[in-house]
Amino acid sequence: MKTKNIWAWLILIIGLVYFFLPLLATFNFSLKMIKDQYTFEAYRVAFTDAQFYQNFGFSFFWALLTIVFSLLLVVPTAYWVHWRTQKARPWVEFVTLMPFVVPAVVLVFGMSSLYGGGLKLFGAPILVLTGTPIPLVAGYVILSLPYMYRAVDTGLRAIDVRTLTEAALSLGASWRVILLNIIFPNLRTAILSGVFLTFAIVMGEFTFASLLYWPAFGPYMEEIGAMRAYTPQALAVVSFLLTWASIGLMQWVGRGAGQEQLAGAH
Amino acid sequence: MTFLKINNVSKIFGSTDAVKDFNLTIEKGELVSFLGPSGCGKTTTLRMVAGFEVPSGGSIVINNEDITNTPPNQRDVGMVFQSYALFPNMTVSSNIGFGLKVAKKPTDEIQSRVKEMLELINMPEYGDRFPSQLSGGQQQRVALARALALRPEVLLLDEPLSALDAKIRVSLRSEIRSIQQKLGITAIYVTHDQEEALSISDRVVVMYEGHMEQVGTPFEIYNFPATEFVASFVGTLNAVEAEVVDPKASTIRIDGIQLQAAKGLENEQSGNKVTIAIRPERFSFASEQKKANLLDAVIENITFLGSIVRVQVVVGSTKFHMDTFNNPFLELPKIGDKTQITCSREAVLVLNH
Repeated sequence: MKTKNIWAWLILIIGLVYFFLPLLATFNFSLKMIKDQYTFEAYRVAFTDAQFYQNFGFSFFWALLTIVFSLLLVVPTAYWVHWRTQKARPWVEFVTLMPFVVPAVVLVFGMSSLYGGGLKLFGAPILVLTGTPIPLVAGYVILSLPYMYRAVDTGLRAIDVRTLTEAALSLGASWRVILLNIIFPNLRTAILSGVFLTFAIVMGEFTFASLLYWPAFGPYMEEIGAMRAYTPQALAVVSFLLTWASIGLMQWVGRGAGQEQLAGAH
Repeated sequence: MTFLKINNVSKIFGSTDAVKDFNLTIEKGELVSFLGPSGCGKTTTLRMVAGFEVPSGGSIVINNEDITNTPPNQRDVGMVFQSYALFPNMTVSSNIGFGLKVAKKPTDEIQSRVKEMLELINMPEYGDRFPSQLSGGQQQRVALARALALRPEVLLLDEPLSALDAKIRVSLRSEIRSIQQKLGITAIYVTHDQEEALSISDRVVVMYEGHMEQVGTPFEIYNFPATEFVASFVGTLNAVEAEVVDPKASTIRIDGIQLQAAKGLENEQSGNKVTIAIRPERFSFASEQKKANLLDAVIENITFLGSIVRVQVVVGSTKFHMDTFNNPFLELPKIGDKTQITCSREAVLVLNH
């Protein structure tokens, strides 16, 4: 028993060292911008770059838009699968896994050739969307599908979708009322986890933004990474903190709403 | 006055007939139970009245309006579910007021109706609680109030007490019945519990394998079961194969012992096989009073069930159960004793095939 415990601790420590040592080294390095001194100079430089705010703001905005469209697509779909078409479940799950099967770079080339004039009617291109942010947001929605769908699906499993829907219907509620007043509020935690995951993915995404030529945060990181030594390390640490803050927020919100959700399952 | 009419309704799922040729008329203010084992079609029929299933054939009319194809949210029908189905994100008051809010009633009207409903279910101080803070019985009372708040034309209850424990089940069923009678609301009550159906209903529809076996008052269903299924499903009874001796005199024979029935043999011929049923409580010891049928019996077993004592006897080679009321002065025979038991002609029921 005792030896087992020691082994468990040892493996945990090795794991933690493996994860945190590079991060600590990055952090350590990011503080050494001025020779022989530990300062936050690299952070100051990073945060005074106007480009940083522009690109960060850009990604932030499209992340919000992605979240809105992703929710509008995923929540009604997942809800419908639970309420009516259980048979469609494997198909919907398969579709949501596509981003794991088709790499982002393949997806983006497909999209830019199809929507960049590749779709022709009588020899003339009919749908040119490159240049608009539509392919970017659409791509982000696809990339976030596996996370958003699974989060919402888990939330729906915890409530008795069928009976709650029938109860609301027998009280005269329309589909819009059922979705907005019953399904959405009871999925609060699940939706929030999906939202934070989507946010984290979009903020760090590189392939889509770079190949569709958008000034997003991902390409910016890459660019300054190629040009400077200390600032990108500082940004890497900042983005790690951002992700952790998201996860922390997710846990915190989830803890508060968990009780209500569980009660719905009885 | 006929209020709810179910005409020739059937429902086919794939290749199975879930409900076949269901015909029923329900009066205003009447409570009718659908009773049967699981898979008998009772819930499917109820769901067709609610609008959650569309009938494969036939029509449903409420208050002279054909609602067969009306969507569930446009029907004036309230429903109570086995799993309560309260909205977990809303307080008790919001749950009860949900239908009124959806119907865009003024706020003060909603408030006064919610208050009225909370008083109806004896939970006036629970308005601000969430469903997760209530017991199962309380949740189901709130669900009942929620269904009644819109004053629906018909109230549907789908095994509302099945998830509750025995004691609450009994008290809540009489509460449901008294509220239903107080409001004079027409109701359909689905259950697989025969005691529940008999105690709560004006009429009972016994269903089996998608069709109606018998419709009648609880008294009729219990005392005059029309089919072997009804007889065996409702209450306990002794069902025995018998041979018709003389249809005119209503005599039959079991193991060479002749018995007299009151009726039911009019269309039979001498020598035919029929099934007869006798309720255990219709037998008594012949030492007390002799009735039309007298049987020599040997006591095989005695089971004490509280208010009654169940005695198992063997007549010839046939086993019968016999119930007698318990009292402290009861002198019971011993196992192996020879005795005589007796029952009236009316106690011998001839069942339809």
